[in-house]
Amino acid sequence: MAKSTGGRDGIAVMPVGEVPELAVKIVATHVAEAFQVPADVLPACELPRESLDARRLQYDAGRILGALERRAFAGYRKVVAVFSVDLFIPIFTHVFGEARQGGRIALVSLARLVRNVDGSVPSPAVGWTRAAKVALHEVGHLFDLPHCQDERCLMHFSGGVDDLDQTPLQFCRYCALILHDALSAPPAVSGRTEPAPDGP
Amino acid sequence: MEDRLSIMIVDDEMIVRESFRYWFEKSGHRVDTAASGNEALEKIQGVAFDLLFVDIKMPGMSGIELLGIVKSEYPETMVIIITAFGSIESAVKAMKLGAADYLLKPFKPEHLSLVMEKVVQQRRLDSENRYLKGRLDRITRFENIIGQSEPMEVIFQMIPEIAADEASVLLSGETGTGKELIAKAIHAKSPRANKPFIAINCGAIPDSLLESELFGHQRGAFTGAHRTRKGYLEAVSGGTLFLDEVGEISFKMQVDLLRVLEEKKICRVGESRPMDVDFRLIAATSRNLEKQISRGTFREDFFYRINVISLTIPPLRERREDIPLLVDHFLEKFSNETTKHVDRATPDALALLGRYEWPGNVRELENAVERAVVLSRGRTLDVSDFAFLQTGTAGEGEARSLIEAETNHIRKILRECDGNVTHAAAVLKINRVTLHKKIKRYGLREGAGKKEKPET
Ligand SMILES: Nc1ncnc2c1ncn2[C@@H]1O[C@H](COP(=O)(O)OP(=O)(O)OP(=O)(O)O)[C@@H](O)[C@H]1O
Ligand SMILES: [Zn+2]
Ligand SMILES: [Zn+2]
Repeated sequence: MAKSTGGRDGIAVMPVGEVPELAVKIVATHVAEAFQVPADVLPACELPRESLDARRLQYDAGRILGALERRAFAGYRKVVAVFSVDLFIPIFTHVFGEARQGGRIALVSLARLVRNVDGSVPSPAVGWTRAAKVALHEVGHLFDLPHCQDERCLMHFSGGVDDLDQTPLQFCRYCALILHDALSAPPAVSGRTEPAPDGP
Repeated sequence: MEDRLSIMIVDDEMIVRESFRYWFEKSGHRVDTAASGNEALEKIQGVAFDLLFVDIKMPGMSGIELLGIVKSEYPETMVIIITAFGSIESAVKAMKLGAADYLLKPFKPEHLSLVMEKVVQQRRLDSENRYLKGRLDRITRFENIIGQSEPMEVIFQMIPEIAADEASVLLSGETGTGKELIAKAIHAKSPRANKPFIAINCGAIPDSLLESELFGHQRGAFTGAHRTRKGYLEAVSGGTLFLDEVGEISFKMQVDLLRVLEEKKICRVGESRPMDVDFRLIAATSRNLEKQISRGTFREDFFYRINVISLTIPPLRERREDIPLLVDHFLEKFSNETTKHVDRATPDALALLGRYEWPGNVRELENAVERAVVLSRGRTLDVSDFAFLQTGTAGEGEARSLIEAETNHIRKILRECDGNVTHAAAVLKINRVTLHKKIKRYGLREGAGKKEKPET
């Protein structure tokens, strides 16, 4: 299923657990276009069991990041992991996505994106466009972009899905500029160079 | 980023601190963390924070206690309380104690971002208010001169009037009262503002040199004059000449200067062809020139020539209302100049500074604040940081260091000589220039003890 480009600059998009194939593909297409790099869809991997919080019945985004960071993903500069399950970090009720500033792994959860605020269910395309926006936002963090004050920018922090719907699918000029610089920097700087054993 | 904040997360749970940290780093804020109220207080003593997130329930000092202390000691730091469900009551209490807001844990991401928007808005408002207040308070600041006392306000009003005039000015005031600063302000407000301002401390230049410094000399005019040199009177061309310690000028030099002021012409030493000069004179003295006139050491005609406009700057101890403002001003100056972020003095410390005699006036205060900033370990100066001041006033019995002993001795001799530096220098068997430097360095007031009787 993975069409490998072998490019060191590439970004991997990987479903974790059961995730609609089309959603993953849409995320990958947007990532490739926005960052002007090849985006490969990797085979799905299993949900890291230890990341399930038994009390909250949600998955701990911090722990998942930790687990994925231990994997090599050789040949990829950044990795976007896509989930159907609901993710959280300890202070928040939930997160749509998660990434560390300047890190290598970004997470996107479809769980709350495929539902409207009023509980209704939009067409799948609406949910997946939201997922693409969250993915681009999180990958922006991986390239060290901070939150942006410009509401018409992908790096603006969106709390809810309706905010997200208002956000256009693009970075503001300022963020685009920083991004351009980050992308033209040699990949070895932000990517991981030393080989590591694959997976736990 | 314009709204970059310095934030501290105070929570005993590491995972909470880390979650916050990651989130705020993504917004470009600077984040620090503390695991307890005590650790937080220690950190606040060292660096200023804009915003604290404080967990209400922590072992040891509670969040409410911490909030109380922060709000009383660092009121400009905003505090947001984090609380779990079921403790709304304490959250309400926290709001009454001055918390900016509270968050029920776990909260929706958009709640945190709303709270942050509120914080940023509040800070904008605060800085706007500070700016507006700054404009209203403009009377406390003229150029770089700080003061809110009545005599300083009068001086602020007079400076532009004096600046518009062309007549010579005599500034009288003890050492360190800001005479040079005021002279510069007069120059800066005058039509001569874009011409040079040249300051000469007549007390610090040996008499033999002063003449050629002022008038310049022709090559070969005296041994050592290898080159023709422009004097200050020529170099100042169109600007303002500031003669500090004009009372130290020799009789002969007074005659020469008087002629220059009358004829607006000078001759370089060793030359007979006169040339035109154009300058405005501002002279300053820390000594009572009228007294010198009656003693015959200062020429009356010269005095009247330089004293067309006269301005007296009172010593700092006669305008103590200015002390807190000056302390703030110097704190800002030194924390900008050094890497130390000392930005306040405790009320006790201010009270101590307000009581002190300040024989060296504003210069001594400036030096004291600098010294305290350099030595201090926190960001707040307390009474103990000014311990060195007390030794200065404690009298002459308990000097421990050589410098203290020297300072006390000089003070005593000066007092015996009624403030006359030339006499005192003769008694001390050092030259007058050296004595002037020491007086400045140690912040000694010339003429100290005029009102007191010399002890025996
Ligand atoms: N009102 C004031 N506001 C701010 N700084 C002041 C004020 N007065 C004096 N200072 C500062 O104190 C120091 C001494 O001031 P200045 O040199 O003008 O005093 P002075 O009266 O000319 O002293 P001296 O007669 O010993 O030369 C300077 O660093 C000056 O900036
Ligand atoms: Zn973000
Ligand atoms: Zn932007």
